[in-house]
Amino acid sequence: MSHDFPILKKGSFYFIKDGENYLIMEDKTKRGLTVKERSIDDKLNVEAEKGMIHDMDGIGHWVPIRWFFPKKQYDLGQVLEHAEAMEKKYNELRELTCPDDDD
Amino acid sequence: MAYVHPEVLVDTEWVSKNPPNDNRKLVEVDYDPENGYRKGHIKGASLIWWKRDINDPIARDIVNKEQFQELMAKNGIKPDTEVIMYGDFNNWFAAFSFWVFKYFGHENIKIMNGGRKKWELENREYTTEEPQIDKTSYTAKEPDEQLREYLDGVKKALDDNNIVMVDVRSPKEFTGEITAPPEYPMEHAQRGGHIPGANNIPWATAVNDADGTFKSAEELKQIYESKGITSDKNVICYCRIGERSSHSWFVLKYLLGYPNVSNYDGSWTEWGNMIKNPIEK
Repeated sequence: MSHDFPILKKGSFYFIKDGENYLIMEDKTKRGLTVKERSIDDKLNVEAEKGMIHDMDGIGHWVPIRWFFPKKQYDLGQVLEHAEAMEKKYNELRELTCPDDDD
Repeated sequence: MAYVHPEVLVDTEWVSKNPPNDNRKLVEVDYDPENGYRKGHIKGASLIWWKRDINDPIARDIVNKEQFQELMAKNGIKPDTEVIMYGDFNNWFAAFSFWVFKYFGHENIKIMNGGRKKWELENREYTTEEPQIDKTSYTAKEPDEQLREYLDGVKKALDDNNIVMVDVRSPKEFTGEITAPPEYPMEHAQRGGHIPGANNIPWATAVNDADGTFKSAEELKQIYESKGITSDKNVICYCRIGERSSHSWFVLKYLLGYPNVSNYDGSWTEWGNMIKNPIEK
C-alpha cells in the first residue's frame, strides 16, 4: 500500500513517497477516492491509479489519484517538477474560487 | 414466502427473450449515460438520463406533469404500455424513475432484477445502436402525493410514533463521518448526521452482493422487521438525493407490500442544508 511508504516531500496538495521501485506522487485532493483501475496516464506518461468523479450532470470522469514514476527513469527532482506544477494548478484554482480579500 | 407484488420484477433471461414491441418498451435509466448507455445497452432500449429527463432543468424538483408527458411521448410510451426498466448503479435510478412513473400514475412497469450489473455478469449482448421510436401522445394522471414526502411532512413525522424513517445511506453517512463519498463532490451538505429517530438500513442490505438482485422476501422481511419497520407503520425512506431511497421504497412497497411508504426525495441534501433542522449523529 502506497500510504505505508516514507514521505520524501510534501506540499499542500501532494505527497511524494519512496516506493520500492517507484517514486509515488499522490494528489491529496483525491484522498478517499476508490481506485478503479491502474493504467497509463496520457499526460505524464507513467502508470497511475485512477478513480472516477461524477460531475453535476452525473457524468463520470477518470482522474489520477497517484502516479508511479519508475526509479530507473525518474529522480526526485523530476517528480518534484510535476508535483509543483500540480501544486501551482490547485493554488490558482483556490485563488479563483476563494480570492483573498486583501488582494 | 413470495414477494407481495412479483409482477413488478422480470429477470435478465426474460428480457433477453421478450424484446420491446408496440406495447412493451425497454428503457435504460442511467445516472451516467456516457459510461453506461452510450457504451452499450440492451438492444431496443431507449435512454432516460436521470438528470436530464427526470429532473426539472432549473429548479430542484422532479419533472412536472407536462414534462413527464413529453418524456413518455418521446420514448414511445402510451398510458397502457408495459415499461421494463433497468439501469446503472444497481438500478438506483431505474428505481427512482419507477417511483416517478408511479407518481404520475403509470401502472404497468417492471424492473429488470440486477440491472446492468447482472446483465454484464452474464456476458449478455449490448449494442450501441439506438432504436427508432415513433412519438406517442400521453396523458398522465395527477400526481399521487401519497408516494412522496416533503420537508414539512418529515418535520411533522418527528413527533409521530406511527411514522418510521429509514435512512438508507451508508453507516458513515448516517453517523456524519462523511456527507458524501469523494466520488460525488456535488452532493455534499453543510452538516453531517441523520434525521432524529431514523433507522439506518443501508439500501445494499436488500440486495445480493454477487449480482445486485433483490434478496428473498423472507430475508427482506427479517431485515426490516428486526429494525421496527413493520407494515402497520407509515414509512418514509430517504438517502442523499432520493435515488437509493427509491430503491428501498420499491422493496418495501412492492416486494414486501407495505401499504404506506413514501420517498423523501429532498433527502439529506435538503435536510442537512436547512437552517435549524434538528440533526442526530
